[in-house]
Amino acid sequence: MTLLLIILFPLLGAALPAVAVRWGRNASAGAAAGVTAIPLALLLFETPRVLAGGTIEAGWRWVPAIGLDLTFRLDGLGFLFALLILGIGLLVILYARYYLSQRDPVGRFYVFLLLFMGAMLGIVLSDNLLLLLVFWELTSLSSFLLIGYWKHHADARQGARMALAITGGGGLALLAGVLLLGHIVGSFELPVVLRSRELIQGSPLYLPMLTLILLGAFTKSAQFPFHFWLPHAMSAPTPVSAYLHSATMVKAGVFLLARLYPVLSGSDAWFYLVSGTGLVTLVFAAYVAMFKHDLKGLLAYSTISHLGLIMLLFGLSTPLAAVAGVFHIINHATFKASLFMAAGIIDHESGSRDMRRLNGLWKYMPHTATLAMVAAASMAGVPLFNGFLSKEMFFTEALELHQTGTLWWIVPAAATLAGVFAVAYSLRFIHDVFFNGEPVDLPRTPHEPPRWMKVPVEILVVLCLLVGIFPAYTVAPLLNVAAGSVLGGPLPEFDLAIWHGFTFPLLMSVVALSGGVLVYFALQYRFNLHMIVQSPSPGRRFYNRGLAWLTGLSEIVTGGLQNGSLQRYLALLVTVILLAGAFPFWQLGWYSGSRSPGMMDGGSGVAWLLLVVSAACTVIWHRQRLLALVFVGVTGLMVSLIFVRFSAPDLALTQILVEVVSIILLLLALYLLPQTTPRESSVTRRMRDAGLAVAAGLGAAGLVWAVLTRPQDTISGFFLEQSVPGGGGSNVVNVILVDFRGFDTFGEIIVLAIAALGIYAMIGGLRVERPALDPARRPWAADSHPLLLRVASRILLPLALMVSVYLLLRGHNEPGGGFIAGLVTAVALITQYLASGIAWTEARLRLDHQRMIGIGVLIAALTGVASWFFGAPFLTSAFAHWHLPVLGELPLASAMIFDLGVYLTVVATTMLMLVTLGKIGAREEV
Amino acid sequence: MSSMTFEMPNFALALPEIFVLSMACLILLIDLFLSDRNRVLTYLMSQATLVGAAILTVGLHSGEPQLTFGGSFISDTMGDVLKVFIYLVTAVVFLYSREYLRVRQLFTGEYFVLGLFGVLGMMVMVSAHSFLTIYLGLELLSLSLYAMVALQRDSVTATEAAMKYFVLGSLASGMLLYGLSMFYGVTGSLDIAEVGAYLKQLPGDNNIVLAFGVVFVVVGLAFKLGAVPFHMWVPDVYHGAPTSVTLYIGTAPKIAAFAMLMRLLVEGLGGLHVQWQDMLILLAIVSMAVGNIIAIAQGNIKRMLAYSTIAHVGFLLLGVLTGTANGYSSAMFYIIVYAIMALGGFGMIMLLSRAGFESDRIDDFKGLNDRSPWFAFIMLILMISMAGVPVSVGFWAKLAVLQAVVRADMTWLAVVAVIFSVIGAYYYLRIVKVMYFDKAEETAPLASSFDMRVAMSANGLAVFALGVYPSALTALCAAALK
Repeated sequence: MTLLLIILFPLLGAALPAVAVRWGRNASAGAAAGVTAIPLALLLFETPRVLAGGTIEAGWRWVPAIGLDLTFRLDGLGFLFALLILGIGLLVILYARYYLSQRDPVGRFYVFLLLFMGAMLGIVLSDNLLLLLVFWELTSLSSFLLIGYWKHHADARQGARMALAITGGGGLALLAGVLLLGHIVGSFELPVVLRSRELIQGSPLYLPMLTLILLGAFTKSAQFPFHFWLPHAMSAPTPVSAYLHSATMVKAGVFLLARLYPVLSGSDAWFYLVSGTGLVTLVFAAYVAMFKHDLKGLLAYSTISHLGLIMLLFGLSTPLAAVAGVFHIINHATFKASLFMAAGIIDHESGSRDMRRLNGLWKYMPHTATLAMVAAASMAGVPLFNGFLSKEMFFTEALELHQTGTLWWIVPAAATLAGVFAVAYSLRFIHDVFFNGEPVDLPRTPHEPPRWMKVPVEILVVLCLLVGIFPAYTVAPLLNVAAGSVLGGPLPEFDLAIWHGFTFPLLMSVVALSGGVLVYFALQYRFNLHMIVQSPSPGRRFYNRGLAWLTGLSEIVTGGLQNGSLQRYLALLVTVILLAGAFPFWQLGWYSGSRSPGMMDGGSGVAWLLLVVSAACTVIWHRQRLLALVFVGVTGLMVSLIFVRFSAPDLALTQILVEVVSIILLLLALYLLPQTTPRESSVTRRMRDAGLAVAAGLGAAGLVWAVLTRPQDTISGFFLEQSVPGGGGSNVVNVILVDFRGFDTFGEIIVLAIAALGIYAMIGGLRVERPALDPARRPWAADSHPLLLRVASRILLPLALMVSVYLLLRGHNEPGGGFIAGLVTAVALITQYLASGIAWTEARLRLDHQRMIGIGVLIAALTGVASWFFGAPFLTSAFAHWHLPVLGELPLASAMIFDLGVYLTVVATTMLMLVTLGKIGAREEV
Repeated sequence: MSSMTFEMPNFALALPEIFVLSMACLILLIDLFLSDRNRVLTYLMSQATLVGAAILTVGLHSGEPQLTFGGSFISDTMGDVLKVFIYLVTAVVFLYSREYLRVRQLFTGEYFVLGLFGVLGMMVMVSAHSFLTIYLGLELLSLSLYAMVALQRDSVTATEAAMKYFVLGSLASGMLLYGLSMFYGVTGSLDIAEVGAYLKQLPGDNNIVLAFGVVFVVVGLAFKLGAVPFHMWVPDVYHGAPTSVTLYIGTAPKIAAFAMLMRLLVEGLGGLHVQWQDMLILLAIVSMAVGNIIAIAQGNIKRMLAYSTIAHVGFLLLGVLTGTANGYSSAMFYIIVYAIMALGGFGMIMLLSRAGFESDRIDDFKGLNDRSPWFAFIMLILMISMAGVPVSVGFWAKLAVLQAVVRADMTWLAVVAVIFSVIGAYYYLRIVKVMYFDKAEETAPLASSFDMRVAMSANGLAVFALGVYPSALTALCAAALK
């Protein structure tokens, strides 16, 4: 419970400073300090148990489905980090109280800081890797808020976004790595993971997993080449930098490596990746740091360099190196936090951080200068300060290295070189700021800061000294337990004394110190250090260019895919479907099956040819509307012939009639349209579309061929067998329509009826002025209703009606039925309209189409419902055969009545549609 | 097909569907006689219909899967859970839309009746147990959506969007039907369980008709889901439609689409898993890539969310393609969470809009924190969750899917998904940035109704609460797919 409380206090208590700020800045800071002090006390309360080597664990179930539980552990490593986070956090809260100006919203600052603190504590106390990851991303988010705290500064916003992009992105890489690790081990619980060293190192996924986890750690700990976000994060208020870049944020990456050290370290991949990156970062950043004119810029690069040093130590994979790494974490946290705070004081009291202008401040702030000097000496690794001890251990380990073989001298040489640079930039920090002449037009006259602003620095500096002089009495127990939990086994022999006699590492230190002094003064006086201006780091350029590239790519893809043109979309869609459809052909090979598709007889051949030709002609002459219509008609007729060929006369009849009706409909539309369509698309586009169409047609043909040449069963046998016993009719198609599929037909006529009503509702009242001349400036035919046509149509009418009744009655056994009969009647009536005009016909033919539709649907529905009264389901067919005197045998099935409903509906809907459409633009008849 | 005997179907299992159908017809009829002043009655009845359907669904729930209508309709736990979420999401959609529609003179019965018919379509999709039923539900939904997009008849963009949607959608429906007909041809059955059993015992996998069937079915499904490269309609429709319709399209139908994937691919074509897995992998990767990359360049937030949908669909496909129970439940969790987040995202646009002003540009969100810190915070939660940042529910959803992918031994796919999530996080956080760091261009106070504000807050807080405690929902999803 204590562990949860330690994390929850800052997380939940984060709201307090925001509330307390209405009672003043002190109240806000006090609330923040209180919220920090309580968990610190709780933590210290556990000190004896932890120092005795115990591990405190606590857990609750949270999201079992994905293997995530709320489990925490407090061991040596976690204790060390939690102590740093809370201890330095408390000092930063005190410091920030005096640092922030009246204009800054203090409450918000402390809220963000506490949130960050809670997230950081979560990382170091998590006992579950997923939980750790969650807190990891929370630190990225809350540091984003902290870095962007001065949101009116453009560089603060950019720095915040860059930090978030890099560390958040790294966090997702870490997520992938952790998922892999969990997959290898089978659990995300640290105790399980830490026991599975052999399993993990033997897994084929080890390398990708390691790379991903290291990506997360390197981005967070600002390792080369991801280091560039850290200098940009310096636009944050200095307390934030002091906190984030000394003890917390950037140490999270190092912490992760320390946490997983027992299971991940020791392999060659680990050695080369971790120590290689660490070495490059160490030297490179130390070098860059010397040339930074910005006080915080120098400290930022120094931080990067020191993190590289710690990485390198963990990478070496020897127990003593790991101890040195942990030790350096402690030392770096103390001296770097104090240096940042000192830099903040200087900035605060003089108004500048530019070392080219800040000179000779010793006279103005001797106290601060002394503190800064001690901390800087520690950073440089001067004996008697804590930095010296861990650096000495590092040099020792660098010499002990075996993996590099004949190149053994590289690491010690690089270490010494980095030492030289470190001394040089530390010296610059002191010499350039506090001595080296007089200040150059500073915005303010520098003076000592308020008393309490110096207290945190003093505490940290005293710690540097105590650890540096009496390591065995101060830091040793803490270091032992922390290093013990990193190693997960027995500690190596090591001696924390300052003096080990005249050894090679000592020589390296001497070289570094003297070399550093030489380099600095050479740079300052010989190469005019202040005049050297560095170009922005390539990493940052890469980041900016990457963003620009991504945006550019995005715009290009948008332009290519999403230009808003339906034609383009369709072309793309068809192309993709073609490709997808080509895949099975490519995979399975295009081959025809064993079954012969049968020979084509001559008649079918001609019909087929006509079909193809008329379809092609329709496409070619589709701009000539009338011509196109003629070809469409031919196509339709050929299709109905094909139905005849396959013994479906009903379908053929329906097809012919539908063809007639729809051609009439289209002709009515032609009336209002220009004769030809203009060309709107370019030749290339037409070629593209033609290509797509041909390919799609060939694809479909190939598919049909492949299917038809394979053995198959048809379902027609079933219907042929069932037609007479099941539906009482020998015309199978009609039986299917009105009996087996009666429900479908019922639905269809309703759809038809609704469509007709829809057309009526939409254009019933529409009147379009018909032009007096056609578009070619020719007058319409003088006689719109020729006599011959009128007479012929009137003779035709009774004949057609007779045929339709005949078709209706015989429909159950022979080709015909309600649908066809209805169409025949409709065509016959329409002919009257065409031949004699609307007014003439309407005067004689008083049909209420809407009512007829209703009656038709009702009859059909009632037939269906009637079967309920006989205890059968809806639309069950009953049939009997009656013998009528004149007509002969009449098979009367209940389906006949149903057919009547279909007939009425079809007639009425067809009429309604055509008459409604035909009336558009019809001039008043004379 | 062996005999022609008819059985009386068990109508009770489809009672929620029958109820929604009857109510939709009834509301259509009543709405005809309402004056504009009393139109709110239509709205209230629609909401009551959803509540009633929810009560029926929960009340009729039984643990065992039951078939009716000759095996073409199934009532099971997955269906019931998904349906309840569909009602819930639709009810919130209606609530958000009321004020928005009223201000724009679009507050007509059609919106709600079409919405209810759409819900009916989704319910049929969710409970379908035959190819035909699935298709029926899908078309009912699609046709309602086409009409809804064109609801604002005098808007050029809306009608154009509806036209595109209809033309492309019909083509895709045709493809789906073509594919389904091939399966019918091979197996002789439309029943999902029968087809599934037939395909499972099939010896070789070199049946060319089945290979084509899979291709066309997946093409049809991919279009309806809006997966790349069948996504072209999504941005145009999302952008062109009135936001209330975009909200409708972007939320509940996604849940139904997941059900369709499960019924069709997993239950029906499970035996051909190897074939469709490859296609889904391809679709998922391209969707995540194109969706996330194009979203960056968008200045219109509706378009941005459209591309974000595409990317999220990629993630959904990841879960389904694993072919494991774990993957399915992760995908289900993902899509429900997505629907709730999208509800908030589009809802926020409507909250900030007012008469004569559509707050649908990203610039319109500038400085929202100064105008309304509370709703900026709600939007922050939503965006963070969509980006999948811990500890948001979006993160849990992504994590669950990724874990399922890793467990199915497709590590590389998980890594690819993570990379695109990183890119995706960028544009969501851009909204956060403009809300908190930029100066407001639009300074008018928020003009939204009280219930809208309450619902929006509840929506944001629900996302937050799910982030803190996702277990209940994950457990529900796992149980639903048992």
